[in-house]
Amino acid sequence: MQSALKPGPAQRLANTLAQRKWRDAGIAYLFILPFLLLYLLFTFLPILQGFWISLHKWDIIGSNVRFIGLRNYQLLLQDKLFWSSLEHTVFFALLAGPGLIVVGLALALMLNRPIRGIGIYRTLFYMPNILSVTVVGLVFARVFAPADRGLVNVVLDSAGGQPHSWLLDVALAMPTIAVTKIWWSAGFNMLIFLAGLQDIPQELYEAARVDGANRLVLFRHITLPGLRRPMLFVLVLQVIASVQVFPLIEVLTQGGPAGSTRPLVMYLFERTFEYWQMGYGSALAFILFAFLFVVSIVQIWFFNRREED
Amino acid sequence: MAAGVVSVDVQRPADRTKRRRQSLLVQAGLFVLAALWLIPVVWTLSISLRPENSIQANLSFMLPLPFTLENYEFVFSSSRLLRWFVNSLFVAVARTLLQIALCSLAAYAFARMRFPGRRILFPFVLIGLMVPGQATFIPVYLLFSNLRLLNTFAALILPGIASSFAVFLLVQFFRNIPIELEEAALLDGASRLGVYLRIFLPLSTPVLTTLAIFTFLGTWNEFLWPLVAATDPDIMTITIGLRNLTATVDRIEFGQTMAAAWAAGLPIVFFFLIFQRRIISGIQLSSGIN
Repeated sequence: MQSALKPGPAQRLANTLAQRKWRDAGIAYLFILPFLLLYLLFTFLPILQGFWISLHKWDIIGSNVRFIGLRNYQLLLQDKLFWSSLEHTVFFALLAGPGLIVVGLALALMLNRPIRGIGIYRTLFYMPNILSVTVVGLVFARVFAPADRGLVNVVLDSAGGQPHSWLLDVALAMPTIAVTKIWWSAGFNMLIFLAGLQDIPQELYEAARVDGANRLVLFRHITLPGLRRPMLFVLVLQVIASVQVFPLIEVLTQGGPAGSTRPLVMYLFERTFEYWQMGYGSALAFILFAFLFVVSIVQIWFFNRREED
Repeated sequence: MAAGVVSVDVQRPADRTKRRRQSLLVQAGLFVLAALWLIPVVWTLSISLRPENSIQANLSFMLPLPFTLENYEFVFSSSRLLRWFVNSLFVAVARTLLQIALCSLAAYAFARMRFPGRRILFPFVLIGLMVPGQATFIPVYLLFSNLRLLNTFAALILPGIASSFAVFLLVQFFRNIPIELEEAALLDGASRLGVYLRIFLPLSTPVLTTLAIFTFLGTWNEFLWPLVAATDPDIMTITIGLRNLTATVDRIEFGQTMAAAWAAGLPIVFFFLIFQRRIISGIQLSSGIN
């Protein structure tokens, strides 16, 4: 009777806690709201909207819009420029990918020992990474400039070699871009591999050495298996980056000579912002997104699974 | 047994000289590679500091002799390089601060508060980890175009603030902060905002700093979005401005081009040298190896 009129201390505490719980939930929503608003506006809704646009003939910003279903995707499959830009993208990935891994791993192996000035080397090899693509493009456009205007040709000439038109030569343009990419990004892989190498227990090497294993055996049976995880990490990141390659090519060759280095994303840009075909561009963007989405899911799944082991 | 001991004794000095030889070989290899990595930088930096006629006379010379600053004077006086530099600084700082504020606030709620829908909202936010920029930029472009907000700082800053990665990273970090600290503060009558501001933010300064450095660098070097979002030279960032400046390469000399490139590049190199410890450990952490 009394407790119904005047709640006891236990009841009061329960009340405040319940009150607090609901107030807490309200506060939590307030904390999340600003982030969520921007997330919806600039990440989540654009994915759905992008797919919606890709189902339309959507020319010159909203003035000529017509629903055409999957026609854009059909057209893409018959589009020679789509296939050739896909080919260039794969070609770039195959040229730069192995180089980035081999150079990154070699640098890491060389730096994973007590040598004087190790910090300076590490800084030096990583440093190109923080330069913007425009700076890298300007520098290497001159390093590989044609005739006697570029550094490589001048050096070649003084050594009695033939000058080349590196970035203007259909056969040499993509390999030259790949070399530039290696200079720019191998330091990143080096850092990842260095972290991986430092995680391999030294006792493994000592035990194997006592058993008389030579360096090649150590590398093959301890170092490489020990680097499985960083290797996979680097590989996935490289696939993702290669599929999206565009800025570096844009500043070095603009897709030339004769469109021979035009990658997928550059083609997407041309269709969207030069021909203003938003629907067609969105179809291309959605295909890219679908592919990368699957790659990311595989990556997340793999790394979570390994952590649980 | 005895034979084994003898053979170890015999092998040791030979092993040592072998190792020393290998170490010398590695050092030589490193030196050559370092030279290869440095030459493009040293060469173009020197070019930017030499008068044009001397460049033409001896292209491959690696020292800035005869020395001049006229290329830098030219690019700063005849282009909007300084303006672009300030734009980049403003855009990168604004986006970094807003990202840290909004993402850490949301991360605190996700990590430490109970509310209906949390189990659905958090995975929903994580979807953003798998979305590349190309998947969203056409609709985002149309949005800004319809709002007549292209060529504004808002267009350059707003997309990219709500980073799923930042929320993910901070949630992981906040979850490891001892709950006792928070409970004590709440029982003493502190508000949720107070706990976030006075306990969680100060305790996570290292991770926030690392995040801020990467967001700043990423925004400074961003290429795709500012290429289409800001075509007005007054709003342009330096990464795009520099590209446009040198696309008109016929009107600008070699030394001047390189002066423009390094006027934009050197500040970032210094930024890197100042923060390199954090940058390097941040990258190595991101791989989840250590």
